[in-house]
Amino acid sequence: MKPTFRQSMQWLHTWAGVVLGAVLMAVFWSGTLLVFDREIDRWMAPMTRLPVIETSTPLDPMIRPFIATAVEVGASSITVALPYEREPTLRVSFRDVSGLARYNLDPGTGRILPDPETAAATDFLYRFHYSMHIRFANVGIWLVGLAGMALLALCVSGIAIHRKILADFFTFRPSKNQRRAILDLHNAAGVLGLPFNVVITLSGMIIFYAEYFPSAVRSLYPNAASYYSEIFDSHSRPKSHVPADAISVDTVRHAAQKIWNGDRIQYLVINHPGDAAASMRVVRATDNIVLLQGDTAFFDAATGALLYHRAKPEPVKRAQGFIAGLHFAQFQHWTLRWLYFVLGLSGCVMIATGYVYWVDKRRKRHEQQGLSGVRLVEGLAVGSTTGLIIATLAFFVANRLLPLGTTFLGYERAALEGWAFYFAWIVTFAHAWLRPRRAWIEQCWWIAAFAVAAVLLNGITTGDHLVRSLTHRHLWAIAGMDLLLLAGAMVAALAAGKLQRRAVAPPASSARGRPPSDGIE
Amino acid sequence: MRALLATMVRIVVSVGGGYAATSGIVSALAVVLFRCGLTRSEAVVLASMLGFGVYLGLLLWGIAAPRLWRFALGLALLAGGGFAVAWLMHGGVVWIG
Repeated sequence: MKPTFRQSMQWLHTWAGVVLGAVLMAVFWSGTLLVFDREIDRWMAPMTRLPVIETSTPLDPMIRPFIATAVEVGASSITVALPYEREPTLRVSFRDVSGLARYNLDPGTGRILPDPETAAATDFLYRFHYSMHIRFANVGIWLVGLAGMALLALCVSGIAIHRKILADFFTFRPSKNQRRAILDLHNAAGVLGLPFNVVITLSGMIIFYAEYFPSAVRSLYPNAASYYSEIFDSHSRPKSHVPADAISVDTVRHAAQKIWNGDRIQYLVINHPGDAAASMRVVRATDNIVLLQGDTAFFDAATGALLYHRAKPEPVKRAQGFIAGLHFAQFQHWTLRWLYFVLGLSGCVMIATGYVYWVDKRRKRHEQQGLSGVRLVEGLAVGSTTGLIIATLAFFVANRLLPLGTTFLGYERAALEGWAFYFAWIVTFAHAWLRPRRAWIEQCWWIAAFAVAAVLLNGITTGDHLVRSLTHRHLWAIAGMDLLLLAGAMVAALAAGKLQRRAVAPPASSARGRPPSDGIE
Repeated sequence: MRALLATMVRIVVSVGGGYAATSGIVSALAVVLFRCGLTRSEAVVLASMLGFGVYLGLLLWGIAAPRLWRFALGLALLAGGGFAVAWLMHGGVVWIG
């Protein structure tokens, strides 16, 4: 449509970014936060901030009563998730007549902890990340997929329109002029983060390969169910209807650990509890491997005999599991975890500066020609960057302000936190469109205020203020979150102050200057 | 206005048509890989994973193609050909049992 390939790519880069930037920002931002999903969970569910127990602590005495209850209510299975460093509670769940019964236990004492009543990161932010909570006809998943494809196209077109890709590595001229500095930052974040951005986007979509390309499954299988039953390695046997007691969970746990060189057990499931044909499915944790599909072993729950231990998955499925594992980052490696976080943030910077550059370049021309595009896109940019951050902070603040047991208009506390997120987000969009001149500055101040409020509220409502959390090893997740919130508040306040000074006295000399000349005009 | 309409049509053809063509290629690829000796589920996973690259290529081609109708024709051939191959060879699979 444009005379040359480079110009076509230029056009694609400009417009794909503007149209899907808001979705991309939402996915990148939530993904960046989800790097610390369990830590955010601890922050939002204070009753689960527990010291980590020794892995050798016997669990039988704590689990037995729940197995008995599950047998009584006729549950078909009972799941026990074991505690570890990032998730220090023992979680037991089974399905009874009224739905899924879930219990959080303190593994040190066996005490049942109060229901956290929050969807926190591993539920709310997680679903937001891959589906934006749009469940209708899977529209959310497809929208995120489209944005993912757009990001790949943006990466390719971004490279295609640059002649000096290597020079962009080392170019950042913050003092030259504002637009030049924005573009340099966009290029630096885009080029330095390129491998990460491509891998994280592609791997995210490969997780959903069967969702995005159902035609592959359909061409070889009569239906999706038969495909899944083939790839989900499982072992099942019918109920015998002869009652029998399950043997010790700890015995089976240790037997499984022996198979896996002492590696930790993630969770175990007892099928047909209370029956003589009951089995235990034990799943190995993926602490020291990237591959997501953990090893699984099946034991006879009555005798403790090993029934079935699956072989390694086939090579392509192993590769898919590795790619998915790269994305989920469930391995235990704090340096890599922080690296994911920093690279995620750099992706956010890339998206945000792309927006700002688009707006800045057209502002004057649109004003002269009376076009409304800049105003529309600037509102979108504000709402999807500072607005999204405010929404996230409102989610945290609502979590600390709403007492346990709160209901409103029939919604429970966990849902209300979600509403706080969306309400705040909508308000920031409205604000951005109503006050275009002041929106960036004011929303930066809001970020600073909300972040500080979240830290203060955490200290007041839980007593785990920074002095306490920094001096207790098991509260470092809380300390980390508080410190990041404070750092964010500081950055936001500095940005707001700087923008304010510039708005009061627009620098005459530095606002102009030679236009960028590396093909982005 | 005409330019905007032309752009919209191009985007719809690239995104929607590109997906249809990718879908056809992926199903054909899955069947061919299976026939080449991969197990059924392995063929599905490999073909799907390669699909993302195929779709990206088609998207970029759609945006850069000088004549949209030729690109659209190419997509139609790819989609039709892909599904035809998958259907014909899948029929074979059923015959084998």
